[in-house]
Amino acid sequence: MTARPYDAETSRYGRAVTPSTWSRLWSANGPGYLFLVPWFIGFFGLTVGPIVYSFYLSFTNFDLLTPARWTGLDNYVRMFTADPKFSASMRVTLLFVLFSVPLKLAFALGVALLLNRGMKGLPIYRAIFYLPSLLGASVAIAVLWRRLFAGDGMVNQVLALIGIQGPSWISNPRTSLWTLVALAVWQFGSPMIIFLAGLRQIPQDLYEAASLDGASKWRIFWKVTLPLLTPVVFFNVIIQTIEGFKSFTPAFIISGGTGNPVNSTLFYTLYLYQEAFAFFRMGYASALAWVLLVIVAVFTGISFLTSRFWVHYDE
Amino acid sequence: MTSDVHPLTVVTGESSPARLWRKRAVSVVAHALLAAASIVMLYPLLWMLSASFRPEAEIFSSSSLIPSAVSLNGYTQGWNSLRLPFTTFFLNSLIISLLCVAGNLAACSLTAFAFARLKFWGRSFWFALMLGTLMLPYQVTLIPQYVLFLNLGWVNSFLPLVVPKFLAADAFFIFLMVQFFRGIPRELDEAAMMDGCSAWRIYYKVMLPLSLPVLTTAGIFTFIFTWDDFFGPLIYLSDIRTYTVTLALRTFVDSTAESNWSGLFAMSILSLLPIFVIFLFFQRLLIEGIATTGMKR
Repeated sequence: MTARPYDAETSRYGRAVTPSTWSRLWSANGPGYLFLVPWFIGFFGLTVGPIVYSFYLSFTNFDLLTPARWTGLDNYVRMFTADPKFSASMRVTLLFVLFSVPLKLAFALGVALLLNRGMKGLPIYRAIFYLPSLLGASVAIAVLWRRLFAGDGMVNQVLALIGIQGPSWISNPRTSLWTLVALAVWQFGSPMIIFLAGLRQIPQDLYEAASLDGASKWRIFWKVTLPLLTPVVFFNVIIQTIEGFKSFTPAFIISGGTGNPVNSTLFYTLYLYQEAFAFFRMGYASALAWVLLVIVAVFTGISFLTSRFWVHYDE
Repeated sequence: MTSDVHPLTVVTGESSPARLWRKRAVSVVAHALLAAASIVMLYPLLWMLSASFRPEAEIFSSSSLIPSAVSLNGYTQGWNSLRLPFTTFFLNSLIISLLCVAGNLAACSLTAFAFARLKFWGRSFWFALMLGTLMLPYQVTLIPQYVLFLNLGWVNSFLPLVVPKFLAADAFFIFLMVQFFRGIPRELDEAAMMDGCSAWRIYYKVMLPLSLPVLTTAGIFTFIFTWDDFFGPLIYLSDIRTYTVTLALRTFVDSTAESNWSGLFAMSILSLLPIFVIFLFFQRLLIEGIATTGMKR
């Protein structure tokens, strides 16, 4: 902005605001705020307003048809003391995140390390491993997964070749969640690409120095590669965990929207959806959303607070 | 290698026959591992592709990839297996996705330009708030937004899916563009400003033409995310005439699937096709986008 030099005279003597002050204020701030008009409408109308309203709704009983009725802490009390589906969905979601995120990231890092050895055909492998990440969230893939892990599905046909008779993975409550974990791990491609980019940032002379000092490959990995990669690991853990908590489509399609068998695929988001849009318990669903927000916030907060103990940053 | 070896001998050691052999062996093992992994990764997709061309009776009788006879029945019957043909659903998905791309590109670039280039009171405050919305789980705003759109009479139309994009609701793409705009040399817009260009002209005539790479990346990802979106349509669209492909597939699973697997697979393959084509043409851009920004997919 071509801001004119600040006119000290005007303000020192506290003169009345003149038109020229207004025009100066306008020329310094006006264009910026004009450009932000769409964002402001969205920010207040679709984010801030709804957050406040949803917090209010979480203390009410609201079915869309009759006005919301204030019930105090009832929703939260019921959630933590008298709602087996809430605890089931919490358990399922935590298990899912706890297993899918580390497994996915381990695969991503392992394959990235292999590819980073300067393999021939790197672009082809990278493309093949990335494709499932790009397609994985779609309904079509969930449909496919439901078929692959059915009792007479492809997975069991392959297992039969080596003499194992597999269960009906989808309809067995003990295995159904693991098919969803497998689907998540199958999509290790995008964290792999982030790892590859991170590996390329590590200065080559560090490796040369370490190997001249006689360090073994194993030692180099633990003492050079991994520490320098921790910022990328940190980033991937946060993104993937938040994504894990928000996952919805696969569980919905694989269980036909029910979260069955025996609530074993009742993801938290799926339960919230049922409460809100199948039973129209909007107040209770808002309370569920706020608990999710707190969980995500606490997780992110803890990650950032502990990060200085294990994440390596350049000084 | 040991520490007392002179660097020069290390260099000659690299090319000794034994070492070369070991290196080659390691590389063969690595390639074998990667090739095996590739097969495991691609097999489900190829299996679905081949199942979509199989005669219905044969789909579950073999796990091989080559059908005994190629049949287009899945495609022709699948296309018309719901109350309306898939033409409607593909058109709906296409319209929604293109509108979302337009909205995101326009609104996010305006917002990003203000944050990256214009000076105004409170800029860093608003920028921090914008970044804060990145972490927000959408469930928290979901129900009030639904109530809002219900009262506006927008439920069962494309508006709830499209209008938020025109209001720069996708903070992620704002952030992506801010990063890119900051990399464009300031001298360019300062020179334009000296010539008396307004902020709007600088945005329109200087920044946008220089930002094609980031606009393409943002456009592609917006398209893929909206094309794939299931949750939004599930909540807002209940009239079959407004269904997207993802909703139609879900209906297909619930109703006729047990008797028409090849049709279901055929339509699934077609629903993935646009994303696959984008992947083929823009692979480098997609991978760069992920590597530099950590896109979630």
